[in-house]
Amino acid sequence: MTSKKNVLEVKNLQAWFGKFHAVKGVSTDYPEKSITAIIGPSGCGKSTYLRCLNRIHEEVPGARSSGQALLLGQDIFAPEVDPVELRQNIGMVFQKPNPFPALSIFENVVVGLKLQGIKNKAKLLETAERCLRKAALWEEVKDKLHQQGTSLSGGQQQRLCIARALAVNPPVLLMDEPTSALDPIASAKIEELMQDLKEDFTVIVVTHNMQQAARVADYTSFLMLGELVEHGPSEIIFTNPKQSKTEDYITGRFG
Amino acid sequence: MLNQQTHNATPTKSIAKKLSGAYGDKVAKVFMQTVALAILALLFLMVYLLFEMSLEAIKEFGFGFLTSTDWDPIMEEFSALPFFYGTLVTSILALLIAAPISVMVAIFITDILPVKLGQVLGLFVEMIAAIPSIVFGLWGLFFLAPIVREQITPLLKSTLGFLPIFQGPSFGIGVLTASIILAIMILPTITSISREVFKSVPQHQKEAALALGATREEMIRLAVLRPSFSGITGAIVLGFGRALGETMAVAMVIGNSSRISASLFAPGATMSSVIANEYAEASAGLHLSSLCYVGLLLFLVTLVVNSSARFIVWKFSPIARSARKDKRA
Repeated sequence: MTSKKNVLEVKNLQAWFGKFHAVKGVSTDYPEKSITAIIGPSGCGKSTYLRCLNRIHEEVPGARSSGQALLLGQDIFAPEVDPVELRQNIGMVFQKPNPFPALSIFENVVVGLKLQGIKNKAKLLETAERCLRKAALWEEVKDKLHQQGTSLSGGQQQRLCIARALAVNPPVLLMDEPTSALDPIASAKIEELMQDLKEDFTVIVVTHNMQQAARVADYTSFLMLGELVEHGPSEIIFTNPKQSKTEDYITGRFG
Repeated sequence: MLNQQTHNATPTKSIAKKLSGAYGDKVAKVFMQTVALAILALLFLMVYLLFEMSLEAIKEFGFGFLTSTDWDPIMEEFSALPFFYGTLVTSILALLIAAPISVMVAIFITDILPVKLGQVLGLFVEMIAAIPSIVFGLWGLFFLAPIVREQITPLLKSTLGFLPIFQGPSFGIGVLTASIILAIMILPTITSISREVFKSVPQHQKEAALALGATREEMIRLAVLRPSFSGITGAIVLGFGRALGETMAVAMVIGNSSRISASLFAPGATMSSVIANEYAEASAGLHLSSLCYVGLLLFLVTLVVNSSARFIVWKFSPIARSARKDKRA
């Protein structure tokens, strides 16, 4: 695993909401085609940290961040980087499935491409099918591509959102508790899907669910009170953590 | 306590019981039901009386009231068409002016200005609605009418003068001036309803757009305007409903002519302005009855327009629909 090159290298990332220091100097490397889970108690800054990585954190009034995050060698916080372009390279799946209510299933998948100005119908159709297949949704929706995205079930909507994020083909995919609003069966499907996504993408997933982290992630970061307590291969974090705080958390002594 | 009961029966029920027992509860319920039914009864009574008072005109003219173009109190020839036309033209023109401005102002308030500033601007826009109609009329007569006559008319004539609607002499008071006044008056209605619609767009929808690489403008179009389309339509139709019924300001600046004229510079009259202007001098008989007939028609038109607006807002808005779906789930 060490031979893999890093797609994303985060160095000393800090984030604030007004005066509240939410993320206090987190540094982590993310190797290509891997899944990294971020775990930690509620309010530890894990979602905020994730939202810094596609610079959507700074859209919140009063929020700011500092530090470095090198995406394929380029610092995403550099002044010449346009956050709009950056977000085409770092996709995001949210906690609550959020397909656009006025758009059809098909339009939801290709909306990112349309924003980039791609209008070629054949290309859009081809991408929609490919991404829906990759998101394990094609068989369920192929006959109703023109129905509204919101007509699907919660789990299907979340897979639609994953397909939507994949359509712009970002090297990195951020997932912010993607299964916390779903039932166990729908969650299992998403987890299965994440394993497939790893073949093409670098996935960083925030999760509340430690079993999920242990099941799907190659690496796990444990965050507490805005600080990175421990980061390492999941099998080590969950079986033989170096820090006593990590051990306390994963054995359920707090959190 | 009685008031709260109508809003929310369950939580106050136990308190009501403690205070006055189950008996008080029943009395309150009966009282509220009576008041609610009385309002309904009042509405039907008004329609009925209006109908009764217009009966003479209805018998005389029937549906021809809407097709003939003569309104001549001396010859006792009456027709609602010139006023129906005037109402429609001023209201539509007012919408064409007010709708785009209102929607843009609403977007500006909800999604572009910082929250606090947005609230202040929103307050100012809503204060327009608090200005009495007669003040708008005075303002239109002494301020707007000269501007329309001396500046807007020459400008329109020199650019769009080939259109029949922009031909003919302008006296300042007329259909165009009335429409501009109306546009200002319905602006707060459309703005505040659009604001509500835009505010109901969940934050996660906006973030979904941003996370896909949408610019702020694209985010507004994709995540805010598109799902709000039916809501905006409803807001516009409600504004239309307001414009249809607006009386005093229009009566003061429209010029009060019962002739249908193609030119927007010409004087005209609306269904409400003709009633306001003529009921005092209309001696009983066919003239008064015809005015009541006009009023009845106006009432029916605004009723249909307003109810369809409410229907559109609550039935077809995708946001409201997904909220309903969430509630069911």
